[in-house]
Amino acid sequence: MIRRAPVFAAALVALAFLALPIVAIFARLSWGNLAHELSSSLVTDALVVSLKTTVVAQVLVLAFGTPAAYVLATHRFRGRSLVVTLVELPIVLPPAVAGIGLLAAFGRFGLLHTNLPFTQAAVVLAVVFVSGPLYVRQAIAAFEAVDETLVAASRTLGARPLKTFFRVVVPLASGGLGAGEALAFARGLGEFGATIMFAGSLQGVTQTLPLAVYAEFDVDFHTAVALGGLLVLVSAVLLVTLKWLASSSTSAFRFAPSTSS
Amino acid sequence: MIPSAILTVFAAASLTNVFPQIAPHDHFSFSGSNMLAAQIQQGAPADVFASANTKLPDQLYAQGLVEKPVVFTRNELILIVPKSNPARIHSVFDLQKPGVKLVIGAVGVPVGDYTRVVLHNLGLDDVLGNVVSQETDVREVLAKVSLGEADAGFVYVTDAQSVRGQVATIGIRWSAQPIVQYAVAVVKSSHHLAAARAFVHHLLGKAAQAKLRAAGFLAPR
Repeated sequence: MIRRAPVFAAALVALAFLALPIVAIFARLSWGNLAHELSSSLVTDALVVSLKTTVVAQVLVLAFGTPAAYVLATHRFRGRSLVVTLVELPIVLPPAVAGIGLLAAFGRFGLLHTNLPFTQAAVVLAVVFVSGPLYVRQAIAAFEAVDETLVAASRTLGARPLKTFFRVVVPLASGGLGAGEALAFARGLGEFGATIMFAGSLQGVTQTLPLAVYAEFDVDFHTAVALGGLLVLVSAVLLVTLKWLASSSTSAFRFAPSTSS
Repeated sequence: MIPSAILTVFAAASLTNVFPQIAPHDHFSFSGSNMLAAQIQQGAPADVFASANTKLPDQLYAQGLVEKPVVFTRNELILIVPKSNPARIHSVFDLQKPGVKLVIGAVGVPVGDYTRVVLHNLGLDDVLGNVVSQETDVREVLAKVSLGEADAGFVYVTDAQSVRGQVATIGIRWSAQPIVQYAVAVVKSSHHLAAARAFVHHLLGKAAQAKLRAAGFLAPR
């Protein structure tokens, strides 16, 4: 038992270290002024911008990411692993590099010569770029895990490919898809670096919640802390949703007993 | 005898090019002066704080965090546009044209506060409606204009000089210029107080002042 002591001590240090900053945010909140701080136009504007851009971004991620993941999951072709790596690359890319890349591609003097910088659409693009890969990656795994015999059965029973996709494949993969989407949603909500470089920061237009935290840090620390607390809560709700979806996905897989392997 | 400790100097972003020339061996953290002041208030280990205004060092002095600030240089504001000048801006009054993408410093950032004074002095308060982004320090404004993403931005004369060739400049008449004074102060929690005081002394000396002047900064008067 004595030999276990260092292990427990190390575990305790790790847990305390990870929990402390979160606890500290709530410890530094001035609860009396909380309602006042969170009702300032800076906070409400940032909340609206964040929700709007995140929702639009995630609709795009689902609409384009799902077919992309399905194609990559069900087709084997030369260079496939290269394509998958390219899709996953933004996950490990520093956000500042993502910002430079978006400017180089969509800036006024970028490859595509667009007028996107400083618009809400630019925020959406930044969020899609950094969060989309998390969903696609998870969705590929979810689609790959779908039992092919069930798909084949649906086809032989006369269902068209599109119907099979929506009635059989998507429900079977829904746990993994949901978990991937929750992860992408959370990452998108926290997006900072690419947004501030590509979209700038303007209250009510491009200033999202994380940008507002940064802007308030040197203006009103209490409001920054209050905003931080708000983001912690939203993130916690997303994480719990994620875990719930992940656990329901395992039960969905158990629901497929027809695997004769 | 100048103590040979390596100092950590928190300095306004507009000093990015000139400070390493003045003190090549010290360590610098360049950012918006308000961000640096907030970090010092949170206990950041700075030895010297050089701000693009006098307000922030005075505030820290009143809070007992720094020694008495001294003005060591001055600056002026200027309007910059990308070399290609996509919005065809030839005077500050062209900023009123609808659809101009103007980038300025945020409120609280020294250059942002000065910009608002200039616009007010010119009777151009409504130009704030054309602002597409409020940046956290002057170098961000400079970057967005020199990249050509923004149509125009207000920076210091010294910033425009540092990217000469990439931007075109439009002067602001003398009577509309705000008083842009840079103040420096020794941070009281410094472990190198003597060296920090020597840094401030050096900054006010002939050699450092000559380098500031060469970079376009003005005499502290």
